[in-house]
Amino acid sequence: MNRRISAVMAGAMVLALAACSSGGSSDATPAGDASDPAGQSGEGKTLTVWIMEGTNPNAEGFFEGISADFTEQTGATLDVQFQPWAGAHDKFVTAIAGGTGPDVAEVGTTWTAEFAGTGALADITDKVAEAGLDDDLVQGLVEAGTLDGKLYGMPWYAGVRSIVYNKALFAAAGITTMPTSWAELLDAVEALKAADPATIPFPIAGDSQYGAMPFIWGADGDIATLEGDTWTSKIDSPEAIEGLKFYTGLALDHGSSTAAANTWNEAALLQGFIGGNVGMMISGNWTMGRIAADAPDMAENIGAFPIPSRDGGVAGSFLGGSHLSIFNDSPNQDLAWEFVQLMTTGDAAAAWAEETGFFPGQVSALEASVTSDDPLVAPFAEQMLEGRSVPVTPLYGQVQGAKIVEAMLQSILTGRLSVEEATAEAATAMDKIFSSGS
Amino acid sequence: MSTAPSVRVAPLAPPGPGSGWRRKARRRSATRPWLLLSPALLVLGGLLLWPLARVVWLSFQDYGLKQLVSGETNFVGLANYREILGSDYLWTGVLPNTVGFAAVCVVLTVGLGTLAAVFLNILKPTWRTICSTAVMVAWAVPAITGTYVWVWLFDPLNGLVANTLANLGVIEPGTVNWFTDRLGFYAIATLNVVHHGFPFVAITVLAALMTVPRELYEAAIVDGATSWQRFRTITVPILKPVFSVVTILSTIWDFKVFTQVYLMPGGNGGNSEVFNLGVWSYIQSFSQGKYGMGSAIAVLLTGMLLLITLVYMRTLFKEEEL
Repeated sequence: MNRRISAVMAGAMVLALAACSSGGSSDATPAGDASDPAGQSGEGKTLTVWIMEGTNPNAEGFFEGISADFTEQTGATLDVQFQPWAGAHDKFVTAIAGGTGPDVAEVGTTWTAEFAGTGALADITDKVAEAGLDDDLVQGLVEAGTLDGKLYGMPWYAGVRSIVYNKALFAAAGITTMPTSWAELLDAVEALKAADPATIPFPIAGDSQYGAMPFIWGADGDIATLEGDTWTSKIDSPEAIEGLKFYTGLALDHGSSTAAANTWNEAALLQGFIGGNVGMMISGNWTMGRIAADAPDMAENIGAFPIPSRDGGVAGSFLGGSHLSIFNDSPNQDLAWEFVQLMTTGDAAAAWAEETGFFPGQVSALEASVTSDDPLVAPFAEQMLEGRSVPVTPLYGQVQGAKIVEAMLQSILTGRLSVEEATAEAATAMDKIFSSGS
Repeated sequence: MSTAPSVRVAPLAPPGPGSGWRRKARRRSATRPWLLLSPALLVLGGLLLWPLARVVWLSFQDYGLKQLVSGETNFVGLANYREILGSDYLWTGVLPNTVGFAAVCVVLTVGLGTLAAVFLNILKPTWRTICSTAVMVAWAVPAITGTYVWVWLFDPLNGLVANTLANLGVIEPGTVNWFTDRLGFYAIATLNVVHHGFPFVAITVLAALMTVPRELYEAAIVDGATSWQRFRTITVPILKPVFSVVTILSTIWDFKVFTQVYLMPGGNGGNSEVFNLGVWSYIQSFSQGKYGMGSAIAVLLTGMLLLITLVYMRTLFKEEEL
């Protein structure tokens, strides 16, 4: 099987040689094969898969290769439907409600617990154990996909946000060593501003929750903590307030941002950065590919460094990524699992990571990335070691749905509320959701 | 299926004298409207009334994703309504946004639409066709597209408006973000909705204007009436039913505006200051999975609209009786 995959995919992808050597992890034969020696269990069936749009610039080419492999392996046809991230949560919810979901879907790690809580996703704990994969999965992703001790999302890929900077602007401002503490970050902002007042040194995007979190974590704060079996918001703790004061203060007191950024989401932030007069931004490692595709000139001109914490060192940053989850009402459970395994292990997983700039969800595969000497990989890998997760409870999906953190950021950035007032309001709103029970 | 009876009835007996035929015809004329209406009523019932009933039914429940998937019910009586009506947010935020925005939009839409109609009416046919086609384009643009165009126009960093104002020295570039301010946000939304809504009013009023007999105006001119007087004493009374219809429709549309608010920066949840009832209902339902709460908001919105329509209709018919 392994040889077949390599042979077909070699044509479809620009596959790094490294992928071939990681064959060991894909030796686990899908459980379905044992009962069906021909491996053609899916003859005449179609497996519908939802994949998020924009992760892989060459997603269509990639899935053409996968489809061919999958058909060869199982006899079934693969129907891959690309879904835009914007509005995806609503689409999932509507599909779950209407029973119109796919067989397998890429589920953002922060949603898995929420969807699993509704009973829409299949428990894959036993399947993973049977395939002998359970010891080789990235722990942060397993944690995010686990609800009440059961795994509902197969770790597929992960990424982390760090600071991406414009080399030309940094050089013009005479910044040679990358900031490793808040004080140095502030120095960099002021140097950029002094070098050219037209520069936007460090836009603070009001519609980006994950941009703010590293500063909460970097001040030893927390979003929420679990005591007993209830979550309590800690976003109004003195540590979190200190972090948010520094983060929003960059915009409010040090002119690092622009009023336009108060309503920016991460896509708008990236667009702003590509515009060329933004000094640095908080951005994910996966956007490197995006920049290379959208602005090839700029791609030569960027660098990255980990988001610093208050007193030096690397701050915690949200470990984002995706699971592949099987829908409970899919009639093709075994076929779906074969697909999940095909995607998340071995060559396909390595190729996906390679093409998207994400890190794979398997520890054995991740180790290769962490030791990379690529200047646009190493800083993220370093940040990934400090990867954090948002509170793992189905209720946090509601917190995100209500955009509590974004609303808090925006009210601070527009000066409507002070940091203390805004965090108190956010904490009250979060606690109301947490106390509403499952 | 539902059309079959009406088809059978349709071929009329050849008209002829005799009281028997006339009696039959009377019976027919009583059932025929219902037979002819039945397809439309069935479609309306299936597509409108049933979902409406379900929304009302949901609004008395604490209904989340879990219930949706399992199909269980979870009745909580009037708790949703009590929570909504008891919250300051409704009275200081959402309701003023909805009502104020709708009122301004209706006045502007009907006013601008009428102006455009009067203008089109005095044009020569060729120019009237060209201009009304141009006006219709604004109507034909989907709300999503139109909204993005307005959002881009007002983009705080690179938008046409910001750049023009910055070049004129009115604002410092990059320092103003209209979307974060409640008034600014709704000013842009108003532009969008009025721009999208006035062509319907213009075309409808134009159609009505063209039916006003010329003699009335000629007589008025002979009597020495000014153009404003002619408009007030001839055009307005004759067009009154048309004005009522476009006003009621505009009111309903502008109360339940969703796309134009939701797609603007902050309108999809980041800035709860700018929600209207439609967006609030959506956010509660789909972003937070509180379908019961969202339904209750939708029911309140529907109730409000029914009330407004009723009051309108009553005043309209009362005046006609007098």
